[in-house]
Amino acid sequence: MGETITFWVLAVVSVSAALGLVFSRKAVYCALMLGVVMLSLAVLYAVQDAPFLAAVQIIVYTGAVMMLFLFVLMMVGVDSSDSLVETIRGQRFWAMIAGIGFAVLLALAVGQAAIGDPAGVTGANQRAGGNVPALAELIFTRHVFAFEVASALLITAALGAMVLAHRERTRPRPTQKDLAKARFVSGYPGPLPGPGTYARNNAIDMPARLPDGSVSELSVNRVIARHDVEDGRLPDDPELAEAIRQAAAEEEEHNASIAGPKEDR
Amino acid sequence: MNGAIEAPTIEYGQLMPMLLVFGAAVVGVLIEALAPRYLRKAIHVPVTLLSLAGAFALIILQAVRDGVPEQASAMGAIAVDGPALFIWGVILVLAFISMLLINDDDQFVAQAAAVPGSPEEEDAVAQGGAHTEVYPLALFAIGGMLLFSSANDLLIMFVALEVMSLPLYLLCGLARRRRLLSQEASVKYFLLGAFSSGFFLYGMALVYGFAGTVDLGGISSALASVGGQDSLLYIGVALLGVGLFFKIGAAPFQAWKPDVYQGAPTPITALMASGTLVAAFGAVLRVFWVALGNLDWDWRPVMWAVAILTMVVGAILAITQTDIKRMLAYSSIAHAGFLLIGVIATGDAEQNSGSLSGILFYLLTYGITTVGAFAVVTMVRDAGGEAGHLSRWAGLGKRSPLLAGIFAFFLLAFAGIPLTSGFFGKYAVFAPAVSGGALGLVVVGVISSAVAAFFYVRVIVLMFFSEPAADGPTVALPSVGTAAVVTIAAAATVVLGVFPQPVLDLADQAASALFIR
Repeated sequence: MGETITFWVLAVVSVSAALGLVFSRKAVYCALMLGVVMLSLAVLYAVQDAPFLAAVQIIVYTGAVMMLFLFVLMMVGVDSSDSLVETIRGQRFWAMIAGIGFAVLLALAVGQAAIGDPAGVTGANQRAGGNVPALAELIFTRHVFAFEVASALLITAALGAMVLAHRERTRPRPTQKDLAKARFVSGYPGPLPGPGTYARNNAIDMPARLPDGSVSELSVNRVIARHDVEDGRLPDDPELAEAIRQAAAEEEEHNASIAGPKEDR
Repeated sequence: MNGAIEAPTIEYGQLMPMLLVFGAAVVGVLIEALAPRYLRKAIHVPVTLLSLAGAFALIILQAVRDGVPEQASAMGAIAVDGPALFIWGVILVLAFISMLLINDDDQFVAQAAAVPGSPEEEDAVAQGGAHTEVYPLALFAIGGMLLFSSANDLLIMFVALEVMSLPLYLLCGLARRRRLLSQEASVKYFLLGAFSSGFFLYGMALVYGFAGTVDLGGISSALASVGGQDSLLYIGVALLGVGLFFKIGAAPFQAWKPDVYQGAPTPITALMASGTLVAAFGAVLRVFWVALGNLDWDWRPVMWAVAILTMVVGAILAITQTDIKRMLAYSSIAHAGFLLIGVIATGDAEQNSGSLSGILFYLLTYGITTVGAFAVVTMVRDAGGEAGHLSRWAGLGKRSPLLAGIFAFFLLAFAGIPLTSGFFGKYAVFAPAVSGGALGLVVVGVISSAVAAFFYVRVIVLMFFSEPAADGPTVALPSVGTAAVVTIAAAATVVLGVFPQPVLDLADQAASALFIR
């Protein structure tokens, strides 16, 4: 009885979280939704007499993998924008049709199967004297080779991360003197202007006003300006809006130059 | 506690070839960590090549001295049977000659982390940076291939699939030139590969739900004893099939192949087009023959459709290609279709071993010719790297008759012209298929071979009968390794085309006992 109640409660929670994961537009929300799905799964495992799996699910997936997701999102997320241009026309529509069709087919077929009484893991647990010993016996006898060979996977992953991400220094590290020189050469050695004397607010996406009352484009964070323009959150004051647009355009240009010479070398 | 767990037995002797490759890969990682930069390549090359050669020698030793094991090794996880030993041998030969190509300088990026076209990249190139990590990565991939083709349960098959694929995803993104294309290929391969692994895993779970075991032999016996849950089984099998068909590049799961083959560094393309295909066919045979052999009435119609679609798509889309590597990729799709004919042609034990021996022989001949063809592709160069576009190959026969002649020979072998290995390969697969009742498929196979021959011949005509462009590509003076690869591949294509009997006998012998369960 308790198991049934838990199942139905968690079914609602996890399915709606999973749907939220797919349909949410903000990456951080997606990650948090994924966390909810994983936690619900962990509880379901625990209810099904698999405490080890439940603990591992929480420690490894929710604890480690999810946190990594969040870190990655927070470190690279703000500055990235997805291109939602469809390269194949109607791709999303047909993908949705195919996906729903597949889901219906799967649900019907699995629902059709006359599944006998679930064996559960209780019996197996008791035979081996507990859940963890039972798992240990399988992992270290029948499936020991799979367990050992998974180490090749871990080594590959570590090596791959090094290859793709480790950058070796090809020129000497710039000293403080070099940095200072570069700063003066850039033509604007000081910090960016603050909100200014004539400011009406001090939000970071609002351009500062200089002492003569004119608007300083320099003071707007370009990434935030781009988001403002994309989401249509421009201030009413046309002068401020223009400055934000200008900064957003610069950001676009900057991005295009990073994406680089399209014809590869 | 109910007392101690009995220690597992692992037949290290039988698994030695695979363990040697994995061990060499681990040693390679240690070399990366400990050896000074200027020494790394000099240490990697002998370690890698010797380990592959040593593994091959161990296989021969195993087959000659101890005979073929009758029981699955490592607690039933790995089946080192006749076909497995033959496939291991083929993979190791192909890996060895692909490795000679990988050795060749100038194929891999100087610093993968540097943004393409950035000053950092220029610095790295100027300072002669190189990623010697490709050697251990390639060895891990090869070890994964060995494991994938000999897995005796679905769990180890899945782990092997990942061990094989993960290094390949990485290696695909490390091309020295046209880096954005290469990185795109890598991401596409990774995403689609992860997706197909997901299908495989889901299928595995459903089949486990049906049979209560992941053991291939256990699934086979569960087919007879478990009733009432057929839909679980069918869906599970379909999803397993999706994962496996993706790996061999059968239609409709072939979309990744052209993009990835084009973008990846050519030596890696050679390794994927030969070794991965061989390993994946080993796994396909095990799943569909060992585990699902008694279900053949159910999977055969689907497999018919897939085989026909694969052959037709491969042959027809190849005609429209303008890039030499994409063309070879579509040709590889068509060849996967030909091989599927052999998978379908099952029957009694004799029939099965005939089909199996055909498939084994075909895998060997196709793999060697493919590596040779890609080796030629690495040698035809423009200012910006390899001359991929077909129009650049015009008149190559006048500029460099020897190379163009060898390439033409490889293409004829792909087409299956007599006196090349491709002819006997096709014959070896088609003949058992006719006796196995797959005549319709053979007809489609022959027709699509003819269509395929059309575009192979078109390339030959282009190379020999058109005027070379004034600024046409140059043929790079091959390094010793590349020259050796081309020579070995050409020699094998000739020898297997004129005098195939010893190898055919070997394949027969390997296939005679079929797979162990």
